[in-house]
Amino acid sequence: MTTIESIPERLQIAEQWVEERGVNWLATGALNVRQVAAMMNEVHARFVTITAIELPGGQGLRLDYHWDLDGQLLGFPFYISGNSIESIFDLCEAVDWIEREVHEGFAIDFAGREYEPLLLREGDKPGVNLHEVVQ
Amino acid sequence: MSYKIPMGPYHPALEEPYKLDMFCEGETVCDAKLHIGFNFRGIEHLAETRNYIQVIALMERVCGICSNIHTLTLCQAMEQLTGLVPPPRALYIRVVMAELERLHSHVLWAGIAAKLMGFKTMFMTCFALREKVMDVLQAISGNRVNYSMNCIGGVNRDIADPQAVLAMVEQLEREMVRTIIPVFTTSTTARSRCAGIGILTHEKAVSCGVVGPTARASGISQDLRRSAPYAAYSDFEFAVPVETAGDVRARLLVRALEIMESCRILRQALNKMPPGEWQAGDKKVVFSTGTALSRVEAPRGEVVYSVSWKENSRNPSRVHVRTPTFQNMPAIRWMVMGARLADTPLIQASIDPCYSCTDR
Repeated sequence: MTTIESIPERLQIAEQWVEERGVNWLATGALNVRQVAAMMNEVHARFVTITAIELPGGQGLRLDYHWDLDGQLLGFPFYISGNSIESIFDLCEAVDWIEREVHEGFAIDFAGREYEPLLLREGDKPGVNLHEVVQ
Repeated sequence: MSYKIPMGPYHPALEEPYKLDMFCEGETVCDAKLHIGFNFRGIEHLAETRNYIQVIALMERVCGICSNIHTLTLCQAMEQLTGLVPPPRALYIRVVMAELERLHSHVLWAGIAAKLMGFKTMFMTCFALREKVMDVLQAISGNRVNYSMNCIGGVNRDIADPQAVLAMVEQLEREMVRTIIPVFTTSTTARSRCAGIGILTHEKAVSCGVVGPTARASGISQDLRRSAPYAAYSDFEFAVPVETAGDVRARLLVRALEIMESCRILRQALNKMPPGEWQAGDKKVVFSTGTALSRVEAPRGEVVYSVSWKENSRNPSRVHVRTPTFQNMPAIRWMVMGARLADTPLIQASIDPCYSCTDR
C-alpha cells in the first residue's frame, strides 16, 4: 500500500481517492481541515495552495486545499455555507499568504489567526475583489 | 539602538514595487515585514469576463518575464476541460519555448544580481547575452516579450527549421560557458558577496513550502519537470541541480547549473522534434463543467492554475493563479534576519522575485 493509498485509512474515513483531471481528490465528509492538515504534515506532503470557488445560486463557497506528495497533486474540497473555516496556519506555515488572500478576496474568516493586510489597503473591505456580493 | 529601515515600495534595489520594513539593531537586521499589493491589477477577476481566446492573451500579461509559462499552464488546464490533446510536435515546441524562457529569466536574474553585487561589467555582459536569447525567441515567435505561442490544443507557430534554432542555442551555450558560468561559480567577487549570507535552512524551506531554485538551493530536490512531467519533458534526460548551503551563493549556483541543463534539454528537443501538425486541428472547442488544475515548473518555481468552467459558458467562472514568488516571498523574512543591512538588497533579489506575478 502506498502512502497516498493509506491516507483514507489513517484519517479513518470510508471515502476513497477519486482521480479526476490529474488530481487525486478525497471527499472529506465529516473531517475538518485541521485533521487533514495534520495528516499532510505526518506524510510530509508539501502544501501547494487553496482555491476559493463561489458556488452558483448562493450555495456558499468551496475551498479546495491542495498538497503535493511525491509529484502527485492531492485535493481536499471543503464546502462552507457561512463565511468561516478554521485556520491551519499554526500547523502549516506555508498557508499564511494564501489564507490572507482568500480572506481579502472572498471575505472568509480563517478562525484562530490574526491577519495583516496583504493586497488590500487601509479602509478596503474584504470581499471586494472577487466575492460577488460585498459583505 | 533599534530602528526601522523601510526599503521600497520604490527603491533602486527593487525591480518592481514592494516594501520590506526592516527592524535593525545597529547594522544587523533583527526582523522584517513584507508589504505587497502595489501591482494589484485584479487579473483573476478580469479573467472571468474574458472568453477562452481572450483569457489567454490576458494571462500572458500576468508576468513580463515568464509570460509563456502562464499561457502554457492555462492552456494545459483548458485542454483538460475541453479534451483537446496537443500533437507531439506542439509538445516539443512548448518545451523549447519554456526552456528558452528559463534561459532568459536566469540570465536576467544573473545580471540584476551582478548589479547588486557591485559587479557592473557582469551586469552588462548578462544583459547583452539575454538580448541574444530574446533574439532566438523572436526568431521563433515574432515577439520578444509576450510570445503568443500557446493556444488550446497546441501552439500558434511551428518551428520550421529546428536546426537553425539549434545553431543559435549552441552559440548561446558557448557564450554562457565562457562568461557567465565561470564568473558566477568561481569569481572571488561573487563568492565574497554571496557565500554565507541570506541563509534559508532546509527545515525553514520545507516549512515555508518554497519552490523552484529557492527550494533546490536549500537541499529540496523538487522539480515538476521530473516529478510530474508535462508537455514532452518525460522524453528528455536532464539533471536537477540541488545545493544544500541555502545561502545566496547556493541559489546562484543552482541557477547557473540550470542554465546548462536548459541548453541540454533544448539540444535534445530540437534534434528529436517529431514531424507533423502543431495544433489539434479544427475541432470545436467545447468546455465541460468542472475544475481543472495544471502545474508547470516556471523559471522561479511551480506555477499553479485552477480553472473552473460551466458548460456552454463563454467565460471561465474562476481562474486562480498561484505563482512561485507568492510562495517564496514570505521566506525573505527568515533570510534577512541576522543579516547585515547592506546585504539585504541582494538577499531579497536572490529568490528572483516577481511582484507583478505575486500581486496579479
